[in-house]
Amino acid sequence: MTGRAERIGLLALPGLSFLAVIYALPLFMLLLKSVQIDGQFSIAEYIAFFSDSYNLSVLWRTLRVALLTTGLALIIAYPTAIIMARAKGFWLSVFLVAMVLPMSVGVVVKAFAWTILFRTRGVLNDTLMSLGITDAPIRMLFTETALIIGAANVFLPFMVLPIYAVLRQMDSRLPEAAASLGATPVFRFMNVTLPLSLPGVVAGCAFTFSLAISMYVIPSLIVGERQQTLSMLTARSFLYLRNEALGATISSILLLIAISVVLASSWAANRLGARQ
Amino acid sequence: MAPPASRDMGDSKYLDVTAVGKAFKGAPVMSGMDFRVGRGELVSLLGPSGCGKTTLLRIIAGLTTADSGEVLLDGRAITSTPAHKRNISVVFQSYALFPHLTVAENVAFGLRARGHAKSDCGPKVVEALALVRMSDFAERKVAALSGGQQQRVAVARALIVDPVLLLLDEPFSALDRKLRETMQVELKTLLRDRNMTAIFVTHDQDEAMGVSDRIAVMNAGQIEQFATPSELYSRPASAFVMDFVGLSTRLSGEVIDCSENRSTVRSAYGTIHAPGTFATGARVTIGVRPELVQTRPAENTLNVTLADAMVLGSKTQLHGRAETGDRLLCEVPGMNSDYAPGDTVTFGWDVADTLVYEAGT
Repeated sequence: MTGRAERIGLLALPGLSFLAVIYALPLFMLLLKSVQIDGQFSIAEYIAFFSDSYNLSVLWRTLRVALLTTGLALIIAYPTAIIMARAKGFWLSVFLVAMVLPMSVGVVVKAFAWTILFRTRGVLNDTLMSLGITDAPIRMLFTETALIIGAANVFLPFMVLPIYAVLRQMDSRLPEAAASLGATPVFRFMNVTLPLSLPGVVAGCAFTFSLAISMYVIPSLIVGERQQTLSMLTARSFLYLRNEALGATISSILLLIAISVVLASSWAANRLGARQ
Repeated sequence: MAPPASRDMGDSKYLDVTAVGKAFKGAPVMSGMDFRVGRGELVSLLGPSGCGKTTLLRIIAGLTTADSGEVLLDGRAITSTPAHKRNISVVFQSYALFPHLTVAENVAFGLRARGHAKSDCGPKVVEALALVRMSDFAERKVAALSGGQQQRVAVARALIVDPVLLLLDEPFSALDRKLRETMQVELKTLLRDRNMTAIFVTHDQDEAMGVSDRIAVMNAGQIEQFATPSELYSRPASAFVMDFVGLSTRLSGEVIDCSENRSTVRSAYGTIHAPGTFATGARVTIGVRPELVQTRPAENTLNVTLADAMVLGSKTQLHGRAETGDRLLCEVPGMNSDYAPGDTVTFGWDVADTLVYEAGT
């Protein structure tokens, strides 16, 4: 039995070697670059990065945007996931297609579509003005708000699908049992549905946050160069400044944040899973 | 056996289901359903899957909305009362214990839902767990419990809120046979002691006979008969009830003569006399309970070739060769190895023990 299981493990070899050569090795070399100056070990690049107030403001903006994007996506995704978990047949297919299909449209296309929506004489401003809500067009394009709305839109499926998967697995008798024991709909949600769906929420937040913190195309197109994020700063370091050490340092910081999020979320999911 | 005087047999209509109808996607599950249960009664809804018994249970619990009709409980209409305001507890087939809560937290759920502080629940939880002999498991995860233990927790959780009615949906079906019988006795005693009114949904006739004061046998959205287990067994109201509750010899035949409340029926195995008046030429179904059939001539006598003789311990079952759809069955007490397949045996029984139904009922 053990021997057979071990031999089946060999099937993972192509995938692992592919990842090792194409992903782990170059990333390791990049990481190495961030702690080396002229072949000597040094954390000077990190000290330099963290002592620059501009860099810190970019770091803070990146974290803030990622957090708010995750929060917005969660608020929109949770009710959607509940409806999807209850849907059957045709309507379930409609929801799943609605979740998956937009992923096949490139981010660039989406971002240009939003500029039609958000620009000064765009659909949104025209509507607001014709309804008399504002007199003058509101500046929406090139703002952090537009960035968060756009990013939440792109990453929504990554939040909806894990929550949906967990809710779908939940025994539908549980809320019914709670109801028969006298629990109001709110009490049922707070004490049965919500706690049982937390592993899905954690997974969805980890996905969305990881994607949002490292996004490059969406902020480049929506807010442009004026409000940099860590990814844009990385690209700038490599492409314009030709400062490979700085680029490697920022990449490593980004990677570190992403790894922490993944580890923390899998720890949280395990804890939640153990409780169940 | 007369039921204790404290339990009425449905006259006071503690639970009164009147003319309830329900259809799913246009397909009617039940219509004009009438069902009455007295205070303190233990009642079973017995029937094959798809007969509507679970739907009726869910309508009473408020988990499914009836399309028409009314449900009254203790004189109050609860037809449109949401489930959480009915104070009717349900024990589900899968037990539906909350997997993220401990045994004690599961049991306390109903109290917490009613706004009791966590600290106030303690003594009642201890009491409820003691009732089902699960005191040692209070801090366990429910996933770590066996099926029988999970069922005990589900019962404790349902009873802690002092429900006005307890509904149990196939509560024993997930347990193995030995445990099932133990739990049935245990639960029945527990409910009796608390004078709880309870409705069991089951497809297992032994379970229904064992736990209930009365059994409603359901078929295709209708109650075929609602009676005590002994009445159901000795005087089934239809061939369906006869077949569903207990074993029986079952033959089809045609009435060839009828006089003075006695019919003569021609079957493939011989002529049979049966009580009751039927039109000559009518197709009928004849039934006899196997323990009423003896292996010597009586008022009705058939010569039967044995297909099998099964020694079952407390009784020996003789199966006669019969045509498709028919069944010839005799039970003799004790272990009897005098019979072998291929033997010709006389099956005899009295006219008074003969059940007869017009075919198609």
